[in-house]
Amino acid sequence: MKKLILAVLAFMLMLPNLYAQDTPAPDPYKPSKTQFMVRGYAHAGLNYKKVGDEVESTFVGTTFNPIFIFKHGDRLIFETELEFAVEDNKLEIGFEYANMSYILNDYMTLRMGKMLLPFGTFIERLHPSWINKFANMPLGMGHGGIAPTSGIGVELRGAIPVGSMKVLYYGYITNGPKLNTGFDAEGNIDEPDEAGQLIFNNFEDNNNKKGYGGRLAILPFSNSSVEIGGSIYGGAVGDRGSFYSNIGAMLYAIDFSFVRQVSAVKGIVDIKGQYNLTNVDDATYFEPEPDGSLTPYTFENSSNAYFGQISYRPTMSGNDVLKRFEVAFRYSAFNAPEGAEWEQESTQWAVALNYYMNWRTLFKLSYQSTNQVGGHGVPEGQTVVTDGLFFHWALGF
Amino acid sequence: MKNLKTILVFALPMLVGSLIMASCASSKVAMKSGAQLWGENCVRCHSTPSPSAYNNTDWETIGLHMRVRANLTAEETQKVVEFLQSAN
Repeated sequence: MKKLILAVLAFMLMLPNLYAQDTPAPDPYKPSKTQFMVRGYAHAGLNYKKVGDEVESTFVGTTFNPIFIFKHGDRLIFETELEFAVEDNKLEIGFEYANMSYILNDYMTLRMGKMLLPFGTFIERLHPSWINKFANMPLGMGHGGIAPTSGIGVELRGAIPVGSMKVLYYGYITNGPKLNTGFDAEGNIDEPDEAGQLIFNNFEDNNNKKGYGGRLAILPFSNSSVEIGGSIYGGAVGDRGSFYSNIGAMLYAIDFSFVRQVSAVKGIVDIKGQYNLTNVDDATYFEPEPDGSLTPYTFENSSNAYFGQISYRPTMSGNDVLKRFEVAFRYSAFNAPEGAEWEQESTQWAVALNYYMNWRTLFKLSYQSTNQVGGHGVPEGQTVVTDGLFFHWALGF
Repeated sequence: MKNLKTILVFALPMLVGSLIMASCASSKVAMKSGAQLWGENCVRCHSTPSPSAYNNTDWETIGLHMRVRANLTAEETQKVVEFLQSAN
């Protein structure tokens, strides 16, 4: 009996230990399903420009773009990017995008909010300073360009493997761009020199007619080294109830990318290009005369801009210093409509020598030369040549 | 007409070149390792990140962010994140 009581007591004393072995102690460092990150990029540098006989030399930056990412579980993510930059001695704050994405299934993601538009690839993927191999964007891209940067709306996107290939699709509805008519909402003359341009930073729907767009791309190789895409975006652009209410626009882009580490040249070869075409319906605009009268005029409102770039980095070199360098060349052009107040033909070539401190930090030394015929500040019939030397330090984090 | 000609000049060589290259395509994504996919996909836009740059939890957040931003497939994302987590 005594032995039995001792055995029962011993078993009872062991119970908590047995239980402890089955149930691991709570891990105070176990990550939660909800995560928050701040990522982004920044750059600073020195710009030297020569326009005719005029020389401009100035330090620039730091431009700072924090990206706030909130991950709620495995399917829902919210992200927003701000831009802090000093321009004209003032702090400018830009609201680049803010949108939420929900993974519907393996092949479909729903996005809503202010988004970088997948019109070509440059704006959505390549423009951040730590990714862009040059100190600035190609002609016709970015703020004031003819390709859209962002829009407010809803988008479905996804990637579908097809055998050894991959197809990417994007379809979106936004409030759409707005036509600059040379008049403001009250009918006062406003920016008449830019009549006929599209305003992409128009985030309220000015005509209750949405803009529709999409991109389809194919990656024919299983190694994803080649991507070919086509984009389209269009809709009504005139203000509702105005003289321009029936004016619409259609924008097109094709893009190409080849990136591959090629053994024969012991490094990464990166070739990219994008062609943008913008067509706006013909409309009558008005040029203010010194006597206060208005002279009507019209023009075929078609613009295009394109760029092609190639870079090489000897990543397979046995020399640890050499493999950190990269050389790049880019050619870009912008052609605005003949007959418009903003008519111009510009071409630009740029070369760059980049040094990567690590995968996300680089020094960019680039030289570029731009020829511009027409446009603001260019005397009629003359060509203005702008040469620039840029030294930038860019960082992604 | 001039614009159409320009588009064709850009598009046709790309199309023909891609079809030729597609015929040489080899293994599918399902047969690839996370390390391979990490090396092939990240570099399409930027340098390949070092696995040690972030911790396991951060890589999951970044993986979801990049899945949307770069339009990666579910399988590519999962394999790349698992590789980065195992190598950091």
